[in-house]
Amino acid sequence: MNGSRQGVEGRGEQFASGVPTALWLEQPTPHNPYLAERCYCQGYDLLALMAGRSFVEVLYLLFRGELPSPAQATLLERLMIACINPGPRHGATRAAMNAGIGRTQRSHLLPIALTVLGGDHLGGGEVEAAMQQLSARKGEAPSEVITTLPLADPSAGDHHPLPGFGSRYGGIDPLPGAIAQQLAALPAAGPHLAWGEALAQQLAPHNMGWLLPGVVAATLADLGFEARQGAGLFQLLAAPGLLAHGLEVARQPITAMPFPDAEHYVIERE
Amino acid sequence: MSSNGSRAADDTRLWDEARGVIRSRKGGWVIGEAVYNHGYSMMEELVGQRSFFQVLVLNTVGRLPERRLAEWLEASFICLSWPDARIWCNQIGTLTGALRGSPVAAVAAGCLAADSRMYGPGVLEAAGRFIQQAQQRAAAGESAEQLVATALAAPRPPGTRPVIVGYARPIARGDERVEAMERVGQALGFERGPHLDLALRLDTVLARDHAEGINLAGYVAAFLADQGFQPTEIYRLYSAWVMSGVQACYAEARERPAEGFLPLRCTDIHYQGPAPRPLPPRAEEAADRPAP
Repeated sequence: MNGSRQGVEGRGEQFASGVPTALWLEQPTPHNPYLAERCYCQGYDLLALMAGRSFVEVLYLLFRGELPSPAQATLLERLMIACINPGPRHGATRAAMNAGIGRTQRSHLLPIALTVLGGDHLGGGEVEAAMQQLSARKGEAPSEVITTLPLADPSAGDHHPLPGFGSRYGGIDPLPGAIAQQLAALPAAGPHLAWGEALAQQLAPHNMGWLLPGVVAATLADLGFEARQGAGLFQLLAAPGLLAHGLEVARQPITAMPFPDAEHYVIERE
Repeated sequence: MSSNGSRAADDTRLWDEARGVIRSRKGGWVIGEAVYNHGYSMMEELVGQRSFFQVLVLNTVGRLPERRLAEWLEASFICLSWPDARIWCNQIGTLTGALRGSPVAAVAAGCLAADSRMYGPGVLEAAGRFIQQAQQRAAAGESAEQLVATALAAPRPPGTRPVIVGYARPIARGDERVEAMERVGQALGFERGPHLDLALRLDTVLARDHAEGINLAGYVAAFLADQGFQPTEIYRLYSAWVMSGVQACYAEARERPAEGFLPLRCTDIHYQGPAPRPLPPRAEEAADRPAP
């Protein structure tokens, strides 16, 4: 050992002696304090929830603290179905398939894909940003908001003048619009979906519209979720499809996926 | 006694002793005094005096190696630092950049992808086990030909080709990185040890009889076995083996338009599932209907 440093000292902060949570209660067995015999999710017995509630209701309960109304449960479940698979062309799915075909440990497929799905373009980052914007601007009329948006973008590629809204491959992505329309018609839909629908109409003449992160953001906001929950919930909702695609190719030879040959791999000289 | 006969039921002493306290054999921060790493004061004895790869080995296996071994390790990391977005782990970095994720997410996801049984650090532990067990058998008198034959005859999943971990590689035959590392080893003055000597004799047999050869993982595993590393230690040392190449691919994609990497049209997906079909009614709805 050869070390001493003058002038560095601890701050003396008082740290909690236990781990805090308001979500989950575990009651220990009488004979072993490390084993729980009952668990309570936001106060409800897990075994009772298993017997009497759907998965989507308990998911809502876990994050929102109360059980949803039937209408809210329906809205969340429809959103979950809408998001269940970003599809084989989404970059996050392609990452899962890359890992699958590349013989990556199967337990890594989902973390890899979810990491890629966390980005600010069509990913969790955009959902969170869209929820923040919806919260901040929902009091403004969409017809006014559109006059403040940078509708022209000199950079190449797609443009999202507001997170969750913009162009996809140079056009209006029809599916998020159709999803939003179906969700907005449900009884539990609220002002965020309605506001987004109105904004999408304003954007249509500019060849832009809803993007899936925007639909997710508006629906989650209507269900009372906070922006900080948006990125992770989007990842959670999309996880089944990502995993399914990764696993689908994990048993196939590497030749089952494209691997560009020398003619299709161009090294640009600076 | 419990069913395993070693501990009474609900004997929680092991966990009670660990409850609320961290015990480290590695070191830690003594605030106001020093950060210790295996007995070294990091700021006094490591920073600026030892290389990053020396400290990587120290952190990982608890031994501070000579600098030339750290230089050899660094060279071997360069061997997996290709900025080629076709490589599976690298492409995950590219996709993260194309979707505007963070560089750390890209590198983490790419490194995780390389934890594969086909390439990257994921094969190193098995490669290390193979060459160390083969060396024991060679020392007991088995020839290189016998070792190759035994390895190729090992049970394998149906429909898979016989492989020896550390030999052959995807996409191409031959491994230019092995030759490069041979040069590095010679330049640094390393003599060939028994594991590497055996590994290269196996390479000769495979090249002659099966048109395959040693790959970088097999070479690294054998070289480091001669340096006294265990297979688990080698695996741990190389956890971030591909990080630099992943970062290169991320950086390039992040600077190009979003979703601009190998864009796929809907028709680029070769769908092989059932044709579109109508959704059947719920079971209860079907039950409510009169029988036809």
